Amino acid sequence: MYLNNLNPSVKALTILGLVLVLALLFDPVTPFLFTVSTILLTFVFGTFRKKHYLLYLLPFTIFAFGMLWTTIAFADAPADPGDTMTLLLWEVPREDVMVAFSLFFRILAFATLSLLFVFTTNMVEFLLSLMQQLRLPPKLAYGVLAGYRFLPMLKTEFGQIQAAHRVRGLGQESGWKRYRRFAVPLLAGAIRKAERTAVAMESKGFTGSRERTFYRNLTVRKKDWLFPVGMGLLLGFFLILSIHFGYFSWYQGQL
Amino acid sequence: MNVRDLSLYYEDKAEPVLRDVSFSVNEKETVLLLGASGSGKSTLTHCLTGLYPRELDGTMEGEVTFHHKPVAKAMPGAISRSVGIVFQDPETQFCMLSVEDEVAFGLENLEVEPDVMEEKIQKALKDVGLLEKRKEKITSLSGGEKQKLALACILAMDPPLIVLDEPTANLDPLATENFVALLEPLKEERGLSLFIIEHDLDPWVSITDRILMLGREGRIFYDGPLREGLETYADTLQQDGIAMPRASRWALQSGVVVSPLPLTVEELKGRPPAPEPRERGRREKEAPLIHAEDLSWKNVLQQVDVSIPEGSFTAVVGPNGSGKTTVCRLLAGIIKPSSGKVGDPFGKKERFSRIGYVFQNPEHQFLTDSVWEEVAYGGADKRQVKEMLEWCGLSDHAKLHPFLLSQGQKRRLSVATMLVNDQDVLFLDEPTFGQDAESTEHLMELIAEKHRAGTTIVMITHDMELIDTYATHVIAMKKGEVAFTGSPEELWNEEVTSLHLKRPLRVQMKEAVYVPQ
Repeated sequence: MYLNNLNPSVKALTILGLVLVLALLFDPVTPFLFTVSTILLTFVFGTFRKKHYLLYLLPFTIFAFGMLWTTIAFADAPADPGDTMTLLLWEVPREDVMVAFSLFFRILAFATLSLLFVFTTNMVEFLLSLMQQLRLPPKLAYGVLAGYRFLPMLKTEFGQIQAAHRVRGLGQESGWKRYRRFAVPLLAGAIRKAERTAVAMESKGFTGSRERTFYRNLTVRKKDWLFPVGMGLLLGFFLILSIHFGYFSWYQGQL
Repeated sequence: MNVRDLSLYYEDKAEPVLRDVSFSVNEKETVLLLGASGSGKSTLTHCLTGLYPRELDGTMEGEVTFHHKPVAKAMPGAISRSVGIVFQDPETQFCMLSVEDEVAFGLENLEVEPDVMEEKIQKALKDVGLLEKRKEKITSLSGGEKQKLALACILAMDPPLIVLDEPTANLDPLATENFVALLEPLKEERGLSLFIIEHDLDPWVSITDRILMLGREGRIFYDGPLREGLETYADTLQQDGIAMPRASRWALQSGVVVSPLPLTVEELKGRPPAPEPRERGRREKEAPLIHAEDLSWKNVLQQVDVSIPEGSFTAVVGPNGSGKTTVCRLLAGIIKPSSGKVGDPFGKKERFSRIGYVFQNPEHQFLTDSVWEEVAYGGADKRQVKEMLEWCGLSDHAKLHPFLLSQGQKRRLSVATMLVNDQDVLFLDEPTFGQDAESTEHLMELIAEKHRAGTTIVMITHDMELIDTYATHVIAMKKGEVAFTGSPEELWNEEVTSLHLKRPLRVQMKEAVYVPQ
């Protein structure tokens, strides 16, 4: 619950900062520990549909495994070929394994941090907070909101056009040509809808100016600072551990 | 509000859309603007709110003033304090996700203090009966509720004048009635002026003080009380394709009552003999053409049995969201049922050359760049295409892009493309939706002609008069189930309000005879 109530701008900036720091490091231990603790924190302090979280994490995991495998299989010549280790009955240079696992956990750390944000943040609150704390122009923020409402509408419309075309006996044509035919009615519809929404917003007095009040005021409270401080300390602690055990290195363009 | 000598030209058209339009809306008055489609009604709305001339590609002459201040010179946004608009399309007039945020949006724009806002939001939502749904997502509301929400947003901002731009055009008859019933007490309580733009008069008769009639060439030709207007200009209205109240139309057609012209069924009651049901020449065969059993589709339909008799004119009715479209699509084979079986009388290969389906939005079905190609697409030869275009009155537009046609023409074209191969069954999804009286009549004549020639027609509609005139068989849907099947006569004897339906005028008149007051 704490994560859901957190000020979205503070949350977003913290995560951005963490990602930047993580991007500069290149060792397997720090991101590994960080990934695990991020997942734990998300589950303990957040309320969301747990099943969906795992579902969303899956593609990232698969992607990370792909990276892991290709890095080991197609590695550059290691500096010290003699230093090998066994991985699943397969002898590989230790250095390559290190690089591969660094990459693997790097991806997962980024993914879990993003998911933490996505799953515990309300879209509307995020935009409100961006306007109120970070001075995002309302024109942009409300534009994004209106657009967000359009996505499901476009999806239904796409389905309808598809069905309508099937009745006309279309379906044998090649994919590209068929999609070109979808584009005209879809775009025509979207433009008309966008225009209507714009007129409706304007008729309610929306001008895009910054002079407006907010029904829901989001502020940065004391407890909001707990998140950046806590996460920072956590990362620092893992860094010290990693340095202590001699795994630490800066990112120097390895892949 | 005062409009003086308003003329408006679009850049790409030689003829003006509006010509010397002058009228005024007084305080606490309800004025209804009646106009055929394409007579410049929406253009006029834009002028009233000051969107035009600011965003206009063209020129505007004349002046719109509100409390003697010109609207065009007001700061953008400022005019929303004086004039609020409820638009036609329930889907596209919101920008927030939840009900209360949407109401707050207008207040935020006016820089209302947050602590005052709460009270205003509560009051507005209570006035339209949506208070319990204030935390809900807008997408979960029904069409009627969305329009009520749109009204609540405006009410919260408390403008003295509300413009309603065909607010009920997308609603079913009962939702329409509810919406209008909502306005009446609000208008009294808040002392509002209403400016209603409509092409369907019927639901509005009781709350209208004065009526304006806008002709096809963009000129206002009548400004005065409703009854006199109808009496004087009945012919012009008919020519322009503007719908009169059903009672008035019937009285004029039958010549029974001419003066004073009746406006509502109540005024007609007891006076003329009720007309007999229209003779439907062709009776349907008993054998079902398409039959489906135990049909379910996602959570929309639950184990439904339906059959369409061969040669019938079947009407599918029911409130919005009751599964009408889904049933028709399943029967036509456009979508596959989650469970259950649909009979397939023509075989998979032949299906879509024997079944035609006209979608709600005709634009979705257009594939080519000209009207001619559109009709010829299915493999029809030159002669057939020519006949078809003549039949639906589109010969003059053969070279035009389908998207450039008017609403009525688009609809007729989409019907034509579905009939060019002499299909055996034709499904129509609300074909008269958003059409003015003239196009509706034209279209229905075309469809009835096909029906007489032997085509089985399945039509989704909200229009009880159409059912009374044309249908031989009715399927009434309610919450994903079939609540009634049988002939229209049998339906009128049912408890129709529970099905969100209303009896047609002819039957309502009969009631007056049977139930003396």
